[in-house]
Amino acid sequence: MTLTARKTYALKLSGTFAIIPIIATTVLALLPGQAQALPAFARQTGQNCASCHAGGQFPELTSYGRLFKLTGYTMGERAVPISVMGVVSYAKVRDTSKSDDPPADFQKNGAPLLASGSIFIAGKVTDNIGVFSQTTYDNYAGQHADGSFHGHTQADNMDFRYADRFINGSRDLIVGVSLNNNPSIVDPWNTAAAWMQYVPVASPTSHQFVDGNAPYPGFGSGGNLAGVNLYMFWNRMVYAELGTYQTANKGFSFMSAGVNDASTTKLQGANNPYWRLGFSHEWGPHNIMVGTSGMVAHVYDSGSDVSDPNNIGRFKNTGVDAQYQYILDPHTITVQLAYMRQKQDHSVNTLAGTSSYNLADGSTPVNPYSASDTTNTFRAKLSYVYQAKYGGSLSFFNLTGTTNTLNQTSGYVGTTITSADSTRVTGNLSGNPASRGWTYEAFWMPVQYVRVGAQYTAYSKYNGASDNYDGFGRNAKDNNTFMLYVWGAY
Amino acid sequence: MKAIAFVGMGLTVLGITACANTERSRNLNDPNVPVKVTAQQVCSNCHGLDGNSTSPNFPALAGQREAYFVAQMNGFKSHNRHDPAGFEYMWGLSRHLTDDQIKGLAAYFSQQTPVPKPTSDAQLMSRGQAVFEKGVPEKNIPACAVCHGPRAEGKDSFPRLADQHADYILKQLQVFQRTDDRPGAAVMMTVAHDLTQDNMLAVAAYLQSMPVSK
Repeated sequence: MTLTARKTYALKLSGTFAIIPIIATTVLALLPGQAQALPAFARQTGQNCASCHAGGQFPELTSYGRLFKLTGYTMGERAVPISVMGVVSYAKVRDTSKSDDPPADFQKNGAPLLASGSIFIAGKVTDNIGVFSQTTYDNYAGQHADGSFHGHTQADNMDFRYADRFINGSRDLIVGVSLNNNPSIVDPWNTAAAWMQYVPVASPTSHQFVDGNAPYPGFGSGGNLAGVNLYMFWNRMVYAELGTYQTANKGFSFMSAGVNDASTTKLQGANNPYWRLGFSHEWGPHNIMVGTSGMVAHVYDSGSDVSDPNNIGRFKNTGVDAQYQYILDPHTITVQLAYMRQKQDHSVNTLAGTSSYNLADGSTPVNPYSASDTTNTFRAKLSYVYQAKYGGSLSFFNLTGTTNTLNQTSGYVGTTITSADSTRVTGNLSGNPASRGWTYEAFWMPVQYVRVGAQYTAYSKYNGASDNYDGFGRNAKDNNTFMLYVWGAY
Repeated sequence: MKAIAFVGMGLTVLGITACANTERSRNLNDPNVPVKVTAQQVCSNCHGLDGNSTSPNFPALAGQREAYFVAQMNGFKSHNRHDPAGFEYMWGLSRHLTDDQIKGLAAYFSQQTPVPKPTSDAQLMSRGQAVFEKGVPEKNIPACAVCHGPRAEGKDSFPRLADQHADYILKQLQVFQRTDDRPGAAVMMTVAHDLTQDNMLAVAAYLQSMPVSK
């Protein structure tokens, strides 16, 4: 038995927990021992993951990694441009008793899952063109009538870019254009919405409260779109990006492949602009970025008739973010702050309906729908990694927003709240989206392409309330979730 | 119509770039890419456009001795030099550079002007100067200046140390003292063997802010 395996078994975990290190050990045993040239980008440059990923904690990029990305993934030499990634996951929710149907509300609670896998086509194509394209298989994407799960594959993040770099004396100008399917995926900093999240999360409802599903600053348009973005990075100080998005249909349908028509985000026309401005400074082992971004998107209500303009809602996002990194072997420290304000104007047809809920007296109707909503989402994250092997992080999230009857998924019909009209566990009695909490994580990277992590997310507010947020007595802290995962790439 | 415009834009971009572009290439497996281009497009990411790196994770290369530079690059390429900071970054980057490209890069960086780094605590620097100029006689550790030159300017395969990041020097001294990761520098393994942590900190601090001397 190898030293690594002995250490793994020494964890002496019992029961279902034991499967995580067993799988990790199996993965390690199957992979070659040489810790270099993995996966596709590493094969292209011949470098370690930690060259581009801060402390090895992918996807967070180092200064060097940002330049690799901005120059279009073209540095190095062409190599086999394929990588795979897999996630094994285990989640346990603090309280599953306040539910009408725990097996449905907390599917696979406390059960280890082979959650998902991705295949990447990634790397240099020509001296100026490079690709980062991810397709993901979700092992628990849907359920058959008998309750058993089935998997599903669909397009994930995609970024095809052309880049050039003009250097003359002290001038350094990188310019590029990207065809991509997700606003902010082009961004090289990890306070951008597409990149700040913790590990991917599994589909079963036992995972609905893990950090990856907790509030993050993001864009109302969502992903699986088709966009063209122009960007520049001047003297490693100023980053500017401008783009616009449309529905990923017709020639661009490959960027929403696998997403059924009703679930595909549909935008009105191609006038859905995205912009980004960032100021970066590096000194000694430190670097900092302060930036702002925004987007205006005209989005059809999910699954609605796109020939009816009354189905169009409008999202306006404005965000500010900042990232600080200290990278000096063996230490990596990162501080990330991100804030996003979102104003959503609801579609005419959405507002045409009326609420079926009353106030607690059973007779007074709740206020009519508000025509628009505003949310403010804040995230702060502090992480430390030692020797690109052992790390931990602490993250705070706080979502606040306007109260709107539209947000209610639970309420009084007559003088009672019943499961026939209201939703337990995920229900929202207040009509307010507020959510607040902390996430703590510790992780270990036995080799550079495998991460084993333990994560705990604790809520002090959920769906607008600390206590009885669903009207059935469920409290925010009941959603606290512990998660274990193994994340590997090759 | 707009979708067609998107496609047209994409195809135009692809068409423009069908050919290799050695004037601004980041290809590390093409002997036709000029060394200045590689230095600017690739090396500069960590070592700076003029060889004066910002982060102490990466050594300053400005004014470095050509023979030393070539020896290190060949050490990376052959995997003979395998200290972590070296192999994590440099094995891959150097793997297909030709001898001529390596020599060209050595010449390019040797011609760049080093920039002095911030000074440290005066007492620490004074102790460092003593180690540099006189060695540690009671432990029979020779003065650095004997091989690296009186102004740490280096000579042939002995590297220039002046204006180097203190943290880089410290970490390399630790590599020499504690590992066999740099077998090409057998002399330094002997020299560093009995250096104390204070000796290393002091001499590194002194070298980082020595006056410019080419």
